[in-house]
Amino acid sequence: MMDSLYIAWRYVTWNRGKTLVLIASITLVAFLPLALQALLNESERQLRTRALDTPLLLGAAGSALDLVMNSLYFDDEVPARIDMRAPAVIDDSGLAYPVPLYVRFMARGAPVVGTTLDYFEFRGLQLAQGRQFALLGEALIGAEVASRLGMGVGDSLVSSPDNLFDIAGVYPLKMTVAGVLADSHSPDDRAVFVDVKTAWVIEGLGHGHQDLAKTEDSSVILRQEEGTVTANAKLVQYTEITPENIDSFHFHGSAAGYPLTALLVVPEDDKAAARLRGRFIDDARYQLVRPDTVIDGLMESIFRIKQVIDAVIVIVAIATLLTIVLVFALSLRIRRDELETIFRIGCSRMTTARLLAAEILIIVVASATLCGVLLWLLHVNSAALVQGLILR
Amino acid sequence: MISIQTLGFSYPGAGFRLQVPVLSVASGEKLAVIGPSGSGKTTLLNLIAGISVPDSGQVRVGETTVSQLGDAARRNFRITHIGFVFQDFQLLDYLSVLDNVLHPYRISSALTLNRSVRQRALELLEQMGIVDLQAHPAHSLSQGEQQRAAICRALLPQPALILADEATGNLDPDNKQLILDMLFARVDDNGATLLAVTHDHELLPRFDRVQDFADFRGAAT
Amino acid sequence: MSIECHSRFSLASVIQWVVRWTVCGLLLCTCMSATAADRLVVYTVNYPLAYFAERIGGEHVEVHFPAPSGVDPAFWMPDAETVARYQRADLILLNGAGYAKWVERVSLPQRKLVNTSSPFRDDYITSSDDVTHQHGPGGEHAHAGTAFTTWLDFSQAARQAGQVAMAMKKLRPAHAGVFAENYQRLQRDLLQLDARMLEITSGKPDLPLLASHPVYQYLARRYGLNLRAVTWEPGSYPDASAWQVFKSLQAVHPAHWMLWEDAPVDKTRESLLGSAVNIVVFKPCMNRPAQGDFMTVMQANIKAMAEPFNVPH
Repeated sequence: MMDSLYIAWRYVTWNRGKTLVLIASITLVAFLPLALQALLNESERQLRTRALDTPLLLGAAGSALDLVMNSLYFDDEVPARIDMRAPAVIDDSGLAYPVPLYVRFMARGAPVVGTTLDYFEFRGLQLAQGRQFALLGEALIGAEVASRLGMGVGDSLVSSPDNLFDIAGVYPLKMTVAGVLADSHSPDDRAVFVDVKTAWVIEGLGHGHQDLAKTEDSSVILRQEEGTVTANAKLVQYTEITPENIDSFHFHGSAAGYPLTALLVVPEDDKAAARLRGRFIDDARYQLVRPDTVIDGLMESIFRIKQVIDAVIVIVAIATLLTIVLVFALSLRIRRDELETIFRIGCSRMTTARLLAAEILIIVVASATLCGVLLWLLHVNSAALVQGLILR
Repeated sequence: MISIQTLGFSYPGAGFRLQVPVLSVASGEKLAVIGPSGSGKTTLLNLIAGISVPDSGQVRVGETTVSQLGDAARRNFRITHIGFVFQDFQLLDYLSVLDNVLHPYRISSALTLNRSVRQRALELLEQMGIVDLQAHPAHSLSQGEQQRAAICRALLPQPALILADEATGNLDPDNKQLILDMLFARVDDNGATLLAVTHDHELLPRFDRVQDFADFRGAAT
Repeated sequence: MSIECHSRFSLASVIQWVVRWTVCGLLLCTCMSATAADRLVVYTVNYPLAYFAERIGGEHVEVHFPAPSGVDPAFWMPDAETVARYQRADLILLNGAGYAKWVERVSLPQRKLVNTSSPFRDDYITSSDDVTHQHGPGGEHAHAGTAFTTWLDFSQAARQAGQVAMAMKKLRPAHAGVFAENYQRLQRDLLQLDARMLEITSGKPDLPLLASHPVYQYLARRYGLNLRAVTWEPGSYPDASAWQVFKSLQAVHPAHWMLWEDAPVDKTRESLLGSAVNIVVFKPCMNRPAQGDFMTVMQANIKAMAEPFNVPH
C-alpha cells in the first residue's frame, strides 16, 4: 500500500493543476453545506441570545421584524417612529421600566444608538476605558468601533449625513468619545452610543447658536417683535458641543413629541410582562413584542430557505461529483499507454486499481483536511463573521 | 531459453492470425526478429511474455510453459523473469529516473524493494552513464538517456530474458549503436537471453542470429 | 513588688488595653461602614430639595448639592466630573418646571430621577416675560418659559417633599417609618408657612407689588399677590432704559413695595425710595444660605412680607 501511495503521491503532485482543481471542487462541495449550517447555527445562537436577553420591545405598530432587527441588532432599516409619550405609558403602568432607543443615524460606518444610561446597566456592559457619557455631544463607543477606527477616549467622530444632497436635512455633529466599552461579543461592540438627546441634536431637534437676544450681529435677525426674535438662515448653528457653547444648546417644542425608534421594556416579573402584553394587544398605535418570538419566526423562515439552498447544493454537489468522475475517466484514457505499459511489465489489474484508488484517496484526504481547516477557521471566527456579515 | 511449438494466435474479430510452427532461442543468445509492420512481431513478444495466451501450441521460457500458466502466475513470472524494453521507452513522466527504474518493484508483490535493490539500481544507472540524473524527472532526459533508463528498469529484476520491441526505433543513428552496445553489455553481464524485434537492418550484424518473420505465416490470412 | 513584676503587670495591662480598644475600634468601624454603605446617596438640583431630603432622610441619607455657593443653580452648568457624581447617586431629585436647564444637556440615569413637582405639572405657570427666539420661516416655533420657583408656594413645597419621601421609602423600605415620620414633621412646618402667608396676604388682596425679577410667580398665585416684575439684579444699578420701563410700569401699577431676591445696592435702594418704593427682601433660597437653613430663610421672608400688608410680625 505504501508503494501505491508513493506512486500516487508522485502523480498528483506532478499534475498540480488538475489536483488542485479537484481538491478545490471536492472541498467546496463538502465545505459549503457545512459552513452554511455552521453560520446559521451561530446566527441563530446570537440572534436568540440577544433576543432572550431582551424581555419586551415596544415600537410603532407595523413590522415586528424591522423593530427587533433595528433595536437589538442596529440594522439600518429604521422602523416607524414612536415618541416620548411612550416611556410615560410604560412608567405609568408601574409594571416595567422603559429604556428609550433611537437608532437612526450612522457615524463612520457604525450605527449611532441614542439611549439612556439605563441601557448599559440593563445589558451589563462594562467600560474598558474612560467613563460614561455625561454631557450632551459625548459618545461611548463599542470595542469593535474603537479597534476599527483606532479611537480612544478624547478622540472625536462625526455623524454621517442622512443624504449628501439634502443640505437642509440632518447635519453632522462632532461627538467626543468619553469612554470605550469592553468587548461584549454582541452587536453593542460595533455601535456608537450617545444620549438620546444627542441623537435629537443630530436630528436637528436641538441645537446651539449665539444668543439672539444678545447678539451684536443684526444681520442674522430676520425680525424682532416684542418678546420674540426670529433668526434667518445666516444664523450659524454649532456642529460641535463644547464646554464653551453647551449652555447655548436647547430644544424646541414639546419633548413629548420627540422621536424614538423603540423602547426596551423591562418588566418587574413574568406576570407583569403578561399583563403589559395584554394591554397592548389591541393597541392601534403601538406593538409590544417578545423579541425571542419574533426571532423564532425569522429562524423558521431562514431554515425553510436553507432547505431550498440545501437542495440546490445537493444538485450542485452531484453535478460536481459527476464532473470529477468524468475528469478521472478522461485521465484514465490519457494514461492508457502508461497503464498498458505497467501491465506489460507485470502489474496486475488489482494493483492498477489500487494505484488509482490511492490517487483518489490522496485527493479526498487533502480535500477533507482542507475542509477541516476551513471549518475550524470558520468556527473560530464564526461569531465575528456573523456579526460582521449577517447581523449588521 | 525460448521454445515455441505450433503456436497459433488470433485477435477476436480481427482477420489477423499468427502462426509460428517452431522457434527456439538458446540461453544467452541474442536473436533479432525482423519483419514488416503488422506482421505480428509485438504479438509474438506478448505471447512469449505471457501477456497474451495462444489459441494453440505452447510457449516455454526456460523450464516454464508460460502458455499454460494462470493469469497471476504469468504476471509474476513475467515480472521476475522477463524484462521489457519498449520502442517509446514508456517511462513515467511523473517519476524520477531512479523511481522509474525501481517501478517494477513497487507495482508487484513478486518483487521486494530493499536496500540492495536500490544499490543495484544505482549501479546499473552508473553503468549506463546516467547515475547523475537519478533524481531528474524522466521527461527531462534526452531520448538516448531515457532508453538507457528503460533498459535499467528492464534489467533491475535480473531477468533471464530481455524482450526488446524496436528498442532503437526512436533513436538517432549515433544513439542506436550506443544503446545497442549498452544493452548487449548489460545482457552479457546478467547472462541473459535477448530477443529483439527490429526493422533496422543496419543493426542485424550485431546479433547472433536473425529470424525473419516471413518464415512465419503471420500476416492476414 | 519587684521591678520585674511591675513591668510584667504593666506590659500585660497595656497589651490588654490595646487589644480591647482595637476590637472596639474595629467593631465601631464595622458599624459605621455598614451604616455608611446603607445610606442613600441623594443628589439634588437646588437647595430646597436638599433641605427636604436632609429633613426626611436624616441619618439614613447622604445629601449632595454640588452647585457652588453664590451661583444660581437654575443656570449653573456642572462639569463632566460633577455629572458623573450625579450618575453614581442612588436618587436624583429634580425640581421640574424646567428648573436647571443643564439637566437637558447631560445624561442622567432615568430610573434614579424623580421629578418632585410632577404631581402638579398641569399647574405649571408659563412665563411670558422671557425674550424667546425662533428660527426662520418654517423653522421651529418660539417657546415660552416655565416659571420654576415652585417651592415658594409652600403647599406645593409640601407636595414636593412628599415625592421625596415616597422615593426614599421605595429605595429604603426598611426605613420607611422614619421617613414618614420626618416627612410629617416637615409637611407640618411647610403648611404652617403656607398658613401664615395666607393670613398675611389675605388682608389686602389687591395690594400692588413689584418684583425685581420674575421669580415669584407661584408665590403670587398661591397668596393672591398683585405682582408685576422687572428684570433687575440686586448687585447692579439699573440703567436708564430699565428705569424707563420701571417708571412706565409704576404708572399703571402704582406699587410702593418691591420684592427683592436679595438686598439691592444702596444706590438702587435710594433711588427706589425716591420713587416711593420700599424694599422687601424675599429670598427664593435656591442655593444654600450662608446662615440658617431653608426654614429660617422662609420664616424671615414671611416676616418681611408682613410689612407691606401691615400685619404684625
